[in-house]
Amino acid sequence: MLSIFYGEMKEAIYNTSVYFKNTFRNEWLEDPLVIDMIKDVDNSEVLGNGAIKSPVLGVIAPNTLSGGVKTLILIYKQPEKVFNASNCGDNCAKWLLKLGDMMDITINLRHLMNFGDGEYEIKVLDDNMIAHNRSELLLLAGKYL
Amino acid sequence: MTGSYHIVVVNATSKYELDIKRNITILKGDSATGKTVLVDMIRDYVSNGPDSGIMLSCDIPCRVIDGNTWEEQLSPINNSIVFIDEGNRFVSSEEFAHYVREGKNYYVIVTREKLSNLPYSVTEIYGIRGSGKYNDMVPVYHETYHIYEEYIRNLQAGECITPDVILTEDSNAGYDFFNTIAHNNSGNIECRAAGGKSNIYGSVIHAHDHSVLIIADGAAFGAEMERICELIHSGADLHLFLPESFEWLILNSGVIKDISKDEMEHAENYADSEKFFSWERYFTHLLTQNTIGTPMAYSKTRLNDYYRSSNITKRILATVQGIDFHYESRV
Repeated sequence: MLSIFYGEMKEAIYNTSVYFKNTFRNEWLEDPLVIDMIKDVDNSEVLGNGAIKSPVLGVIAPNTLSGGVKTLILIYKQPEKVFNASNCGDNCAKWLLKLGDMMDITINLRHLMNFGDGEYEIKVLDDNMIAHNRSELLLLAGKYL
Repeated sequence: MTGSYHIVVVNATSKYELDIKRNITILKGDSATGKTVLVDMIRDYVSNGPDSGIMLSCDIPCRVIDGNTWEEQLSPINNSIVFIDEGNRFVSSEEFAHYVREGKNYYVIVTREKLSNLPYSVTEIYGIRGSGKYNDMVPVYHETYHIYEEYIRNLQAGECITPDVILTEDSNAGYDFFNTIAHNNSGNIECRAAGGKSNIYGSVIHAHDHSVLIIADGAAFGAEMERICELIHSGADLHLFLPESFEWLILNSGVIKDISKDEMEHAENYADSEKFFSWERYFTHLLTQNTIGTPMAYSKTRLNDYYRSSNITKRILATVQGIDFHYESRV
């Protein structure tokens, strides 16, 4: 399940780009889910051997991926840690829901991410309540932001 | 610091153009739109100049600060545009707000967080969008767009609304003005004061059975926009009227003579950030200074009866588009 703590969370890893740069493993780029995330969010193609083809920047290294997709990869690869997912734009939200369907993950949000107008289950840790849609999530999260 | 600054940053793959005219500008939006690339290009140019392979055009220096040593980096910087990428925890701190309040620089901050300590304008929150494609032999062009365009402009573009409740940000002169209008409506419109912009969300969260018009100072309401717009999306019958400030509304109506058009339309050339934390304070100063010692003397704490007179009220309301206060027919 996807669990979210809204607001200030000191133990969350805040600067996910720096953390990614220093913990990245090349084999992460062999994971089909990571390849799909990079394709979807950054519109970029994993070429192999740590090389990625960006439609804007040309061939880039993993450190040059967007802050959003780097944070998604960290959440997926290190689910025991809590990352600041406010480095992710709304175009990362469906991946957070997908990861939450696959495993238990906890993230920290300091803004109202738009998870779409569909049904879902997100646990808001500030209140220990579960939101099932956008309106319920707003009611739970709004007071902590 | 005053003025508007056009910034162009170009390298082999990317070109950015943006205009900065207030002390605080926010960049947010989807991932992978090029916000960090922009800041990285400026950082490379600052470190290496033209040897970086980057062309940066701006009338004043651009700088980048980051990390735990941000204060040491920022202290010697003056009269510059300071860029801060996401991932810098200090942007929400009171210490950083203190530096911004000093007004020695303009700041461009990449963040999705609500920065409650900073009075940023609803019109200075931008996303970045690109056009073109790598290998086109020309850099991909990136420009900014207003994140909250549809919410800021909806009163001008949509049908005329008739609110049941007017909710003002504070209980000062602006509230006095709109409360007077409400009283002249034979109870058709109720006017309430939220007691501060951060209380507006809590005041309207259950407003699904009546139409609420939120009137707040657009010049400093940026931090509240995300929650309020999400409420509007969820179906709350809310409308936003966000002039720069109540004082701007009076000045813009023309009821005060001797205010130059340029002071209103190009406030960036007059609203010195060392004197005014936000444009809301600039317009308060402008109105107060131009009416002092006259029958129109303006005080923010309590509205001078001059501004409640039928004639003046009509002239001020005549400049408001998209809202029917039912005022003219009642007085």
